[in-house]
Amino acid sequence: MKNERGKLVLGALGLLAGLLLIGCALVLGDRLPGSIIGLMCGCGGALGGVGGTALLIPLLMRSMSPEERREAERAEYDERVVLIREKAAQSSFYWTLCLLWVPFVVALMQGSLLWMILSTGAVVLHNVFYLVNLARWDRRL
Amino acid sequence: MTNRIAQLRKERRISQAELADAVDVTRQTIISLESGRYNASLLLAHRIAKYFGLTIEEVFLFEEEEP
Repeated sequence: MKNERGKLVLGALGLLAGLLLIGCALVLGDRLPGSIIGLMCGCGGALGGVGGTALLIPLLMRSMSPEERREAERAEYDERVVLIREKAAQSSFYWTLCLLWVPFVVALMQGSLLWMILSTGAVVLHNVFYLVNLARWDRRL
Repeated sequence: MTNRIAQLRKERRISQAELADAVDVTRQTIISLESGRYNASLLLAHRIAKYFGLTIEEVFLFEEEEP
């Protein structure tokens, strides 16, 4: 219960901070460099999204009947749902890998060195995270 | 692999939701098991068999595929 309240408070704080950052970016738009405004909007959007979701999920759970709530809570660790999540994650890994080549090819065609490096870095990191997690789970199971 | 979950459940007049509650899975998992779309883990198979008071082999029918 205490943990649930803590999550709600954190969610509200995140949403508030996100809205505040976006508001500040809108108000100070002319007085700050474009990169700072972009950073403020990006961080604000991310904080607002995470905070808003943390607030929305408990509200949705409260609107459910006790049976529906029990089913939703059980779905967190239900073995079939876990398997679905694993298969979805695996599939997403391959599709993200394919999609990450698109900005690289576009950057290559446009001769944009910075974006070539960034997109290659993203592909490498994507694979490194995958390999690290494979090794981690290989040790655990 | 096939199973007798639907048959055993109907014989004992147990709903899918009641079985799901008893073995701690979602009702959708029971539906998928009964339709044969999903094969239970050893742990879940054990829980289901125990719930019906049977052995795993009596609930889950392993059929070796012809090579």
